[in-house]
Amino acid sequence: MFRWLTLAAGLLVLAVLALILVFTVKEAWPAIQHEGVWGFLTGDRWVPNDPDGPGPARPMYGALAFIYGTVVTSLIAVIIAVPISVGIALFLTEFAPRRLRGPVITVIDLLAAVPSVVFGLWAILVLGPWLFDAYQATHGLLGAVPVLGSIFGPPQGPRAFMTAGIIVAIMIIPIITSITREVFATVPNADKQAALALGATRWEMIRGAVFPHSFGGVVGAVMLGLGRAMGETIAVSLTIGAATQITANLFGSGNTLPARIVQNWGDPGIPPGRSALVGLGVVLFLITIIVNYLARLVVSRAEIRMKGASA
Amino acid sequence: MNRSVLTRTAVIGVAMAALALAGCSSSSDPEPDPSGSAANPYASLTGTLDASGASFPNNYYQAAIEAFAEVAPDLEITYRSTGSGTGKREFGEGLTAFAGTDSTVKEGDGPQEGSYLYVPTVAASITISYNLSEVPDLQLSPSTLAKIFSRTITRWDAPEIAADNPDATLPAKDIVVVRRSDGSGTTNNFTKYLVAAGGSDWTLGSGDTVEWPADTQAGDRNTGVAQIIQQTDGAIGYVDFADATASGLTFAAIQNADGNYVVPTLEATTAALAGATLNDDLTYNPLNAPGADSYPITAPTYILVRPTYDDPEVGAAVKGFLTWLLSDPVSIEIAHDEGYATLPDSIRQKALAQIESVTVG
Amino acid sequence: MLRRSALSRGRRIADVALRVAVWLCLIVAVVPLALVVYFVVVRGLPQWTPEFFDFAGRLTTRYQAEGGSMAPAIVGTLLTTGVAALIAIPLGVLGAIYLNEYGKNSPLARVIWMMTDVMTGVPSIVMGLFVFLAFVLLIDELNALAGALALACLMLPVVIRSSEEMLRLVPDELRQASLALGARRWRTIVSVVLPASISGIMSGALLAIARAAGETAPVVLVMGVTRRVNWSLFGGNVSLPMQIYDNAQQPYAAAQARAWGAALTLVVIVLVTTLVGRFIAARFAIRER
Repeated sequence: MFRWLTLAAGLLVLAVLALILVFTVKEAWPAIQHEGVWGFLTGDRWVPNDPDGPGPARPMYGALAFIYGTVVTSLIAVIIAVPISVGIALFLTEFAPRRLRGPVITVIDLLAAVPSVVFGLWAILVLGPWLFDAYQATHGLLGAVPVLGSIFGPPQGPRAFMTAGIIVAIMIIPIITSITREVFATVPNADKQAALALGATRWEMIRGAVFPHSFGGVVGAVMLGLGRAMGETIAVSLTIGAATQITANLFGSGNTLPARIVQNWGDPGIPPGRSALVGLGVVLFLITIIVNYLARLVVSRAEIRMKGASA
Repeated sequence: MNRSVLTRTAVIGVAMAALALAGCSSSSDPEPDPSGSAANPYASLTGTLDASGASFPNNYYQAAIEAFAEVAPDLEITYRSTGSGTGKREFGEGLTAFAGTDSTVKEGDGPQEGSYLYVPTVAASITISYNLSEVPDLQLSPSTLAKIFSRTITRWDAPEIAADNPDATLPAKDIVVVRRSDGSGTTNNFTKYLVAAGGSDWTLGSGDTVEWPADTQAGDRNTGVAQIIQQTDGAIGYVDFADATASGLTFAAIQNADGNYVVPTLEATTAALAGATLNDDLTYNPLNAPGADSYPITAPTYILVRPTYDDPEVGAAVKGFLTWLLSDPVSIEIAHDEGYATLPDSIRQKALAQIESVTVG
Repeated sequence: MLRRSALSRGRRIADVALRVAVWLCLIVAVVPLALVVYFVVVRGLPQWTPEFFDFAGRLTTRYQAEGGSMAPAIVGTLLTTGVAALIAIPLGVLGAIYLNEYGKNSPLARVIWMMTDVMTGVPSIVMGLFVFLAFVLLIDELNALAGALALACLMLPVVIRSSEEMLRLVPDELRQASLALGARRWRTIVSVVLPASISGIMSGALLAIARAAGETAPVVLVMGVTRRVNWSLFGGNVSLPMQIYDNAQQPYAAAQARAWGAALTLVVIVLVTTLVGRFIAARFAIRER
């Protein structure tokens, strides 16, 4: 009896996941049919309405600009967060005095506990205006350089891919740090001692013993952070500027899949507008599942290898 | 000033007449307190009214609802500023007792033909607000405006802007265009104006949303657009007069149909209303109105009501509130304080008659 | 013994650079946290007036006006998070018991375990969409129950995973001893395994609650709106994150101040829950040894 009760609770997970897929795909279908699967994924025009006069003759739902924005902001976030997280993890495992270790871990946990909407509030009212000045300075400095000039192009205000990327980076640092720290902690002490005994400096020991051993685990941690970054909604919605734009200019504004959903949910436009927003949700769901799956795969491979090494 | 005093006195008479009518029709109500009900026919209204819609008249509606709560303490009205698009849809789904909208109802918006009546309430300017400390008095012609918002002009020192502002020193900065992210009656009226006045320079059509150029930023509701302009050096966008004033934005003078550059003010808005012609369904179009002093981007706003309310309590409350809103001197004073122009008497009479035509029960 | 000075210059510089870099990383991560906390406290605290916590008061709908009560949003947050916890924690613990006590390494358990992982990664906004489609459309009302369901869906996999880890820590000897005394399997679980791991499970659950309380995206989609305190699961409701999101986008100082006040309230709620969770976890850690 009790056994079946627990089994039912376990099966609930499978049921919820299946229902999510069924309900969202079913709701999204009219919009996807409207554009065709390929058109929905590769169209870069999003007009949830049929304006009078010239312009598109029908509503158009192309998700590409939002997919692009999702990928770009989460890549910015990961590129910023990974070195910092690895640094903190190294600090905790290799450098920190024993009595500092606990407080630092607490601080990183607190960083994870701050709700994303609070980061968003701070980002748009405090950090954004500061960043705008920094963007203008950077653009002034690099604007004339060929490739960098278009990446750090003319700033369009505090709301930009970069602002969203930075704020998401702050949010994923605790996740990547905590996993990376665990991975570093599994490096066999014998390896480290051996490296040091051979006369290696701390840095050489880390490069020679810690990094090769934990590479897979760190990659997994990064992918998990990436999955989390892609799903971040509110802080991004507040800081990205809601432009349906594909541009190399990181100081320009854009939009992401989840941010677009939450901005327009109250007013999805004429049918199948709501269906199209759910369609964005389906795309997001599939992308994050793939990223998370790859992450787990890498982590579990790495775990097996590490266990083999420590045995 | 003089004009508003005159309207106020005229209005009290209208209000009395309308109330007398309303009092007669609601015979089901027992008269509890003769002294109270004679002075205040709204005191008997009860229940709750849920409404949603346009953010454009939100400042006025919220203040008016607060004031009405003193007159009708047993009635609770909630107006949610959601944007006209949502307002129309929720009204069409039967979720709300009335809806605010700045745009007329189109097929696919939600409400079925014949299931709604327009009640015009107030009108206000849509300001072209900008953030450019170097230029305190910007002037724009409709053609330049159309080019800025379709991104044909992307720099503040463009020759077209210079031609409109011969005396100003324009900075060599990029223009950041800010528009609405949600479906919006403000967008609808603004783009309608651009179609009417911008000619061949405006090719994006009009609607609650249009396909804006890719590199335009978007804000949620009028206040969201106002916030972005406030924070972004070089930004320009369209914001309703009340929110633009309250959030301290600077706005441009726009060239009207008579060729004069006019800054949005209550007077310039009222002037634009004087020249508007009323359609049979009580919609009207004060955009690009003639008159030397009219502000050209003046937009109407309506409340959608049902021709028949099945629930007598809701019906009486809707009729009572709207009658008060259109005719009570307190409501009119609030409208002016918040920067909205009230209707000329000819339109107001018809609007009150429209409210009276709503049947209950 | 080699001395530092015996190292070549390049190697020494690299070593020192690493030390500096690692400290810098720590500072770079701590500074934003410090700034956020500073601004939330400094700008939020002046908002904490009696009117702000007036349970009979209303949320103001006039963004530019000062004042208004935040109590409706506080109630909405406590209500949705509380109900979500009541749904997700028992189910999560039961699921964890299946995984660790019954399923063990069976193929089905492995699938469930993997899917729990997948579910942890589902973006919160997708949960909101799901609850809207599966529940809100069904009962035709935006309400607190829908918000609670969305949060419960987000908490469920987290609770399962943390509880499962705690159950795994319970030594097998305890189970065998109980079984040897003739107790049935379920009795063993209920009276031996669960009590041994309950504080760990609770601390994991509290951390999940803290996360859920701060969730914004799904509740924005499914909760609707209210201006007065609404203790009912039905009818529109609001939450603190929704109020922060809404007021943060306003150009008015009064609205932004309300957002900071609501943010401080939310951070305090989340922090208290997190600290209680950590406190319980710390006590458990001692017993474990």
